[in-house]
Amino acid sequence: MDSLLSPQLLAAAMITGVLYALISLGLNLVYGTMRLLNVAHGDLVMIGAYVAFIAFSLLNIGPLVSMFGAALICGFLGWLSYKCVFQRLLSNGQLLSRLEENSLLLFFALSVIIQNLAILFFSADRRGYEYLSAIVEIGDVRLTGARLTVLIVGAVISAAVVFFLRFSLFGLAMNALIQNRDASAIVGINVDRVQMSSLIFGFGITGLAGALISMMEPISPVMGFPYTMSAFVIIILGGLGNLWGGFLAGLLLGVLEVYGVALTGPEWRSVLVYGIFVLILIFRPQGLLGSGKTAR
Amino acid sequence: MSPSFLKISNLSVAYEQVYALRDFSCNVEEGRITALVGSNGAGKTTFLRTLSGLLEAKQGVIEFDNADITYLPSHKRVEAGLTMVPEGRLIFPDFTVEQNLKIGAVSKRALGQVEDSLENSYKIFPKLDQRRHQLGGTLSGGEQQMLALARGMMACPRLLMLDEPTLGLAPLISDAIFEMVVHLKQIGITILIVEQDVNRTLQIADNAYVLENGVSIMEGTAREILTDPKVRESYMGI
Ligand SMILES: Nc1ncnc2c1ncn2[C@@H]1O[C@H](COP(=O)(O)OP(=O)(O)O)[C@@H](O)[C@H]1O
Ligand SMILES: [Mg+2]
Repeated sequence: MDSLLSPQLLAAAMITGVLYALISLGLNLVYGTMRLLNVAHGDLVMIGAYVAFIAFSLLNIGPLVSMFGAALICGFLGWLSYKCVFQRLLSNGQLLSRLEENSLLLFFALSVIIQNLAILFFSADRRGYEYLSAIVEIGDVRLTGARLTVLIVGAVISAAVVFFLRFSLFGLAMNALIQNRDASAIVGINVDRVQMSSLIFGFGITGLAGALISMMEPISPVMGFPYTMSAFVIIILGGLGNLWGGFLAGLLLGVLEVYGVALTGPEWRSVLVYGIFVLILIFRPQGLLGSGKTAR
Repeated sequence: MSPSFLKISNLSVAYEQVYALRDFSCNVEEGRITALVGSNGAGKTTFLRTLSGLLEAKQGVIEFDNADITYLPSHKRVEAGLTMVPEGRLIFPDFTVEQNLKIGAVSKRALGQVEDSLENSYKIFPKLDQRRHQLGGTLSGGEQQMLALARGMMACPRLLMLDEPTLGLAPLISDAIFEMVVHLKQIGITILIVEQDVNRTLQIADNAYVLENGVSIMEGTAREILTDPKVRESYMGI
């Protein structure tokens, strides 16, 4: 049992938790501000991971640099989908009322397309690259340099994002839009711009998380789906549209997953994650923290 | 004083295909209180929501300060000085009182003096000062209305549109709101007010319009409307 209290396991839980927190924050922003159910969210993780992989193996650029490229590319995809699809749908009252359902189908189709394109270009093989693979020892904790780097960079970026959302005027505007669309418009928030920025920002941080993940794990065109599921579990756990709750729930699910798998075995991972999901839906559908109701 | 501060010409608004406002024209004069009265479902809220850009006009023209704003997005209207305090208040329940006020000053015209405006709000509404760190959703109805009003003021409006500001409030608090409206006029803010308390509204208003089933049936000075026997019978039960 004492292995459960080991700093080793705690470090692993924190790494997973920080990545989950970032990824689910991206999903939550997009859902909260526009009620878009992005079931292709995990595919952004995959895209970010491939950006880092290509940058490293073809261009010799390290992931700590290319993660910003991954963020830019995914952010660009957010901008593109806003301009091509959602801007028009969101500005029309009638279409807006059906947007949540429609977005589910749309993103599902998009997810299939993205995954197939990735298989076409990169094959279905799992890939990876060697980066900071030497073991680092800090006290009792032994982990690869890559994992340590992910932990530190992930924590710094998470802190920066939380700080930005909480204390900047723009973060306040995003939070306002999540609470009430009409109220946001009448106080003078440029709703169109905040929506677009949320999509860019939400996609961007998810791509960045994908680049970080590629430093530690093999990547593949279908790696995204488990992240989609986890991210949905997390934002429901934290209360849909509740950015702060979702962030904490991300850390929590990371801990639960890592400790749960340590107690049982990797084959139990999905049972654990989906089990938590079902339990929440039964016992606390409004989320652990949320008062639950987000007004449209 | 320009006579066409806010000028609405032949405005029609519909939900899907059902018209809620038809061919409505009106003038809001600068520095005055203009009242819009009419029974439930007459189209008053529809009108104010169209003025603030939440609903789109089917036909007609809205001019503010001689500029056509009929199709301007909401935030640009706020930017121009047109602010609404909506029916049902629509404050942000998960924001503190202070955050609610700050977000009220998000437009460029107001952002520069946000600290002054904040101080001013707390001076006018000491209740809000006491509760500045309380969440908006936990305030009482009267406090929420004060907050909505104060939030509207944070935008430094030239024209403030009030939709049923005393609905559901205790008489004492309603009194305070009416006093506040008069005070706002005295400090130079033009008011367009929709109210169910027709009698008191017409007593503080300068001009008034009566709306019925989406159509204007009467207009004039508030005194004329107030003394009109038909208005007294239909809206004041006298
Ligand atoms: N969202 C809506 N969808 C369809 N019809 C509506 C909607 N809002 C209001 N209406 C209708 O428009 C008419 C005017 O409503 P409203 O402007 O709210 O009146 P008032 O504020 O004067 O009570 C009513 O007949 C009402 O039923
Ligand atoms: Mg109304």
